[in-house]
Amino acid sequence: MKINVSKYTTVGLVALLSLIIFVIPYSASLEYSLRGKFGKGHDFTNYLWIFHQDGFLSHLSLSLELGLLAGLLNLVLMVPTATFLHLSLQRYKPVVDFICILPLMIPVVSLAVGAEYSMPGFLQNSQFELVFFFVILALPFTFRVLDSSLSSIPLKTLVEASRSLGASWPATIVRVIVPAASGGISSAFFLSFALGIGEYTITSLLHWDTFTTWTVDVSQQNVLGSIALSTFSFLFAVILLIVIALVSSNRKKKQKELEEQS
Amino acid sequence: MSIQNTVPESAKTRELGTSRRQLRLPLPLLPFFLFVGFFLAWPISKVLIASFKDNNEKWTLSNYSPLFHGIYFHAFVTSIRIGLVTALLGAVIGGLFAYVIDAYAGPRLTSVLDSIAAVFANSGGVPLAFTFLASFGANAGLIKLLKSLGWDLYAEGFSIFSFIGICAVYTFFQAPLMVLVFKPALKGLRKEWKEANTSLGGSSWTYIRKIAIPILFPSFVGSFLLLFAGGFSAYATARALTVGNVPLIPLIIGDLINGNVISDKTHLGASLAIGAIVIAAFAMSGYIWAQRKSSQWRR
Amino acid sequence: MSKRGSTGSELVISGISRAFGPVKALDQFSLKIAPGELVCLLGPSGCGKTTALRIVAGLEKADAGSVMIDGEDLLAKEANQRDIGMVFQSYSLFPNMTVAENIAYGLRVRKKSKEQINKRVSDMLELVSLQSKINNFPHQLSGGQQQRVALARALAIEPRVLLLDEPLSALDAQVRTQIRDEIRRIQIESGTTTLFVTHDQEEAMAISDRVGVMQHGRLEQIDSPNNLYNKPETPFVAGFVGITNYIPSVVDSKNEVQVLGQVLEISEHSSPVKKGEEVRALVRPESIHIEKASQGAKIITKSFLGPMTRVGVDAGLADLIYAEMSSKEAKKFDAGDFVKISISSEMVMVESV
Repeated sequence: MKINVSKYTTVGLVALLSLIIFVIPYSASLEYSLRGKFGKGHDFTNYLWIFHQDGFLSHLSLSLELGLLAGLLNLVLMVPTATFLHLSLQRYKPVVDFICILPLMIPVVSLAVGAEYSMPGFLQNSQFELVFFFVILALPFTFRVLDSSLSSIPLKTLVEASRSLGASWPATIVRVIVPAASGGISSAFFLSFALGIGEYTITSLLHWDTFTTWTVDVSQQNVLGSIALSTFSFLFAVILLIVIALVSSNRKKKQKELEEQS
Repeated sequence: MSIQNTVPESAKTRELGTSRRQLRLPLPLLPFFLFVGFFLAWPISKVLIASFKDNNEKWTLSNYSPLFHGIYFHAFVTSIRIGLVTALLGAVIGGLFAYVIDAYAGPRLTSVLDSIAAVFANSGGVPLAFTFLASFGANAGLIKLLKSLGWDLYAEGFSIFSFIGICAVYTFFQAPLMVLVFKPALKGLRKEWKEANTSLGGSSWTYIRKIAIPILFPSFVGSFLLLFAGGFSAYATARALTVGNVPLIPLIIGDLINGNVISDKTHLGASLAIGAIVIAAFAMSGYIWAQRKSSQWRR
Repeated sequence: MSKRGSTGSELVISGISRAFGPVKALDQFSLKIAPGELVCLLGPSGCGKTTALRIVAGLEKADAGSVMIDGEDLLAKEANQRDIGMVFQSYSLFPNMTVAENIAYGLRVRKKSKEQINKRVSDMLELVSLQSKINNFPHQLSGGQQQRVALARALAIEPRVLLLDEPLSALDAQVRTQIRDEIRRIQIESGTTTLFVTHDQEEAMAISDRVGVMQHGRLEQIDSPNNLYNKPETPFVAGFVGITNYIPSVVDSKNEVQVLGQVLEISEHSSPVKKGEEVRALVRPESIHIEKASQGAKIITKSFLGPMTRVGVDAGLADLIYAEMSSKEAKKFDAGDFVKISISSEMVMVESV
């Protein structure tokens, strides 16, 4: 036990130091963003600035819409795919696994180039072309999440039970599989949604104007405001994820308690 | 396997004839393959073909020669260097964080820290760039503070719009990403191995040297390669941070399709894009190898 | 290989106590193991058996008490200086090393020469009959094979004491029986003093010299398997070891109880009881006798167990009463028959409800 104590101090110290170095820029930007008009004092004016810009609502709702569609499309495409892969088409799993790693292998810029070269005219003229690419970009994360979620439930048994009781395939998926794998499914949805609303590269390279690209443009004029926005989005995302994580760990705890009682 | 009878095979693939078992198409997977084929394979193959064609639509390798010298070569080298440096920094720092969290944090704290890491890992791009401008831009509080202490960084030629600046900024999403990607590997270290080592007479150092490091090595390398691919290909942050003074491949490709282009260079954009894919793919295949190796041990 | 008892060490555990917060995992736990003996700690989960084992191994600390090995104070030594072999429940082989490297690990740590190591590794592989797997990796072996290698690895260092922490619990039922007999054979052949922890009473009874039954951090009784079964000293031991019928009964007088209409003497290790108290009588199935009758209790189940058959009878109580007899005798009875129940022992243990 003696060795552990000294390990605690040296490793912990190094970690603490790195943590401080890490926190500095974010806290600096927090301070920066709270600066008042003309650099005097501190207040929240910078946070309010973005809301007053022309086009705030229109661009925000566009991004939200695209993100939502990306999330839904991802589920519609991947939930049945992952399900059937688990049930009876397991030998294709390595292939699908590999395909889902590809978006990580292919730099987004290259994919953007490809999109320019290959997408048919009607699609290139519609902002919904972005939705499809958001889904592709999210594949590595969403497939992994869905896959591990489905692995953790007795999928075959549930499906056999449902089918033997007379349910059709769509009914089985919606009524049995979705509730059972709800954790993974909601994670997959949020991942693609988050990616959709935060994506910049493909959006700007394909000359579309969503919330992210719009904020970059607008920010050229107001550095303080843009920093406030970044800080705000960080905090918001962090708090949201923490809440989700704590809620889901609470749910797991309650389930464990229920099981132990019976 | 009774499930084989109640599963789609019976509903949809029987039309193909059960005698042709070998060629049974996985019809339920068709939507997936079609989607990926159209939105991933098709664009990439188009780029590939375009990279081998010149302006007269004739087959040529001439688009690839600029990649090996001059500014484009320099850009590749710079991008690779940034990838390597930030991957190394991220891997070491992130690995350290991952170890500390795994060893000392309780379950609630761990999930909170995981969430924070997830946000920061995906924060590459515009928010991160802006944050850094805040901390290290000329008007930043930190800079002013240092100035008042007598250390005028900017006078000494410091700029965030530089190789070092980019490396520093990238590390801030590489390290959290490392935490996310590497921590599961740390969790895979079973406590029975440590205890067995103790009961057989080994010390903590023996355990680290002979067991922990060899077992963690593939995952570490794999994670490193993943970070490299990300650092090499990053676009948004670089765009926000540079004013053209640091040559990076993603930015050059972006410029070429953005229309800062003379038309005869569009094919060059294609070859650059393919070059980028080759490098990232190289790294990712190393990542896949590492995953395979480490999952073998986690049976 | 040395014969039984000649090279093993004596292990004396005295008054070990360990608490985790308000919970007493071990309460004045004492045990003496003779050289070469195989003692099993048996009990339900949470009884403290694993904690005791881990304290001897040095993986847990004791709040009080001592552990002596051949007269030396073991607790004063660091965990990795104790010369103890340990086999864990599962997954303890180092996955990045071959079978040979795993077995050689403890020897390498002790800086043995290459020839010594090679000889010892092949001796150990011969001992556990796995010579062909010498260059395989753990993930290429079955669960039973992995545990045999783990045993070889622990014995390679010629430990003074061998500790086994539920080594069979993670294995399939069939493999379990084979490996447990292997473990016993190897233990006898090597003469190593062994402490074995398990919650499976059949396992404990099958291979041990003595078995210690534990509950709530205390040793209820330590005895040979035979004595534990036939002369249990507490109701818990009587119920935990072997199969027992718990028959609701009424105390007649200070030392007599009425069970199913029969008056029996209360055995000395029973709970203290008063006249008229409602208790449970613990009766073994082989002590339950049934005779055909025109009415009375009804046979509900008949389970063929090979040489013996267990018959479940409904005597109007909440649970069935199980009688065990030779299968030859059981042929006389069928489900649905009416029988009269009698108890063949004169003395019975009772437990307060």
